[in-house]
Amino acid sequence: MRRDWHDFWGGTAMAAIGLGVAGWAAAQYDLGTLRRMGPGFFPLGLGLVLALIGAGIAVPALARTGTPQPIAWRESGAILGAIVVFGLGLERFGLIPTTAAAVLIATLPAPRSGLVWRIGVTLAVTAIAWAIFSAGLRMTVPLWPVGR
Amino acid sequence: MFAMDGIAAGLGVALTPSVLLYSLLGVCLGNFIGVLPGIGAMAAIALLLPITYHIGPEAAIAMLAGVYYGAQYGGAVASILLRLPGTPQSAVTVLDGYPMARKGRAGLALFASMISSFIGGMLGIAVLALLAPVLAGWATAFGAADYAAMMVLGLVAASTIGAGAPLKALAMVVLGLILGTVGTDVNSGAQRFIFGTPQLMDGINLVALAMGLFGVAEVIGNIRAADRQGTPEPMGFRQMLPRPGEMRTLIAPSLRGTAVGSFFGVLPGTGSTLSSFMAYAVERRVSRTPERFGEGAVEGVAGPEAANNAAAITAFVPTLTLGIPGDPIMALMLGAMVIHGIQPGPMMLEAQPAMFWGLVISFGIGNLILLILNVPLISIWVSMLRIPFHWLYPAIIVFVCLGVYSVRGSSFDVLAVAVIGAAGYALALARFSPALLLLGFVLGPLIETNLRRAMLVGRGDPMIFLERPISAIFVAATVALLGWTAWSAWKARRRG
Repeated sequence: MRRDWHDFWGGTAMAAIGLGVAGWAAAQYDLGTLRRMGPGFFPLGLGLVLALIGAGIAVPALARTGTPQPIAWRESGAILGAIVVFGLGLERFGLIPTTAAAVLIATLPAPRSGLVWRIGVTLAVTAIAWAIFSAGLRMTVPLWPVGR
Repeated sequence: MFAMDGIAAGLGVALTPSVLLYSLLGVCLGNFIGVLPGIGAMAAIALLLPITYHIGPEAAIAMLAGVYYGAQYGGAVASILLRLPGTPQSAVTVLDGYPMARKGRAGLALFASMISSFIGGMLGIAVLALLAPVLAGWATAFGAADYAAMMVLGLVAASTIGAGAPLKALAMVVLGLILGTVGTDVNSGAQRFIFGTPQLMDGINLVALAMGLFGVAEVIGNIRAADRQGTPEPMGFRQMLPRPGEMRTLIAPSLRGTAVGSFFGVLPGTGSTLSSFMAYAVERRVSRTPERFGEGAVEGVAGPEAANNAAAITAFVPTLTLGIPGDPIMALMLGAMVIHGIQPGPMMLEAQPAMFWGLVISFGIGNLILLILNVPLISIWVSMLRIPFHWLYPAIIVFVCLGVYSVRGSSFDVLAVAVIGAAGYALALARFSPALLLLGFVLGPLIETNLRRAMLVGRGDPMIFLERPISAIFVAATVALLGWTAWSAWKARRRG
């Protein structure tokens, strides 16, 4: 029997976040009084509610079966990797090389695609990105690597 | 007369070249994105939000609203032709639209969806124009306790009504409320949950949150799925023209759908997705031949499509007059308005009548454009369904990154999108609804401020929420909803 691990771990994570938020708020921020609530009051209350709800999701999940959902590792790795590369590279290497690198990484999990297609998409997207954001919206960002 | 002056001023706003142009751009983009399965109105609005920073507030909101109701028109195309809803709101359209297409009546199904969308949209605009001033008048009597109670009711309604497990929906709402507290507390100036990160002092960036939760997570989830879709037969204008007499059969379902959609659009917490399901149920109930539903009944297309368009427009009633968004898309819209310095609320109609009526009139123009775009030009939209998703998603990802970066030139926000996107994908895997998280996030600071103000007014006695009649009604409705949800869950378990 497969238990409903999605709900169990999802609920546990929510409960943990809730307890963490409530604990941090109670320890670090002024709770105030009911009349004059301090900055800690609302997060403390929300954290406790989330902890209760999380427990309410996780506990019954142990008693039922669930269908496991496959995780798209390649897809999520490539997409998130492309965004991280973009965020780290934009100000150092400039818009054009960074965009091209991000598109190339993002195309990695695409089905049915050869090298020619990847390069074509990279060139097209980079050109469009330059046209809209740099030429059109006049975003202030270097186009090519910045020399130091 | 007040309204006449407002309408005249609104015409002046709506007919400004920039407002017309961006409204047109918005409905075209919305229509396009609605046609494509795998990316919804939510992601589209998030994607375009940074671009609107460069244009005026009226043009920006007209454009973003155009994306929303434009996507409602487009969503039906893939539902009918490919059995894949282009947007969640058009999921019901699959039930009878696809069987109609299988029987060779795809043209009529598309025509019905477009005409009823137009009727629903236009009548929805009339409801917005008539109801908003009335509601704004009532809302001046609302105190802090009433606002807080109403927003809590909206959040509870959004998570308990509709599909999915209510507890998981509530968890998302509460998590959203918690994320909304990150940053500088407006009441005390305390820095909450920023962990030494100065970029978080103004709170989590709404654009980064919306893009990560919708743009990025939807792309990851769809790279594999979207490529298995089929390709539709070409479709021309001639095939869409109804046979004599068929036009008449569409009117009554469209009107009923509009009524259902307007009702659920105005209510807090119930959005256009729910209204289209309700409209379908209504059509089946009133039909003399309910057995035709699911086999290709044209009423099953017309009713829901009218409803989701009416709801998309009437959802602006609480958003504009109370400053309270009823559904996640309106939450994003409210965020966009605040970014543009528009403060929706009871005073907006009086203080900025040109803005309000300008939006109303631009919605009308937008719906007219959509009818023209979709009936004669249907072949273009159908051929767009032939574009494979893997041609589009690399561009979407780059636009997400550049869009977020362009808001305030911050690489930190781009990296935040990666983190939020990873979390959003994890939430989607565990079947938690990220849309409700966004609703909680936008409403969080509003609820906290009003709650604190109410407790101050009530001298620390929570009874203030029951002593004021308006808030007492909202509290009673919230308790009733929670009780009803718990009771039906218990009953379902006992039945096994």
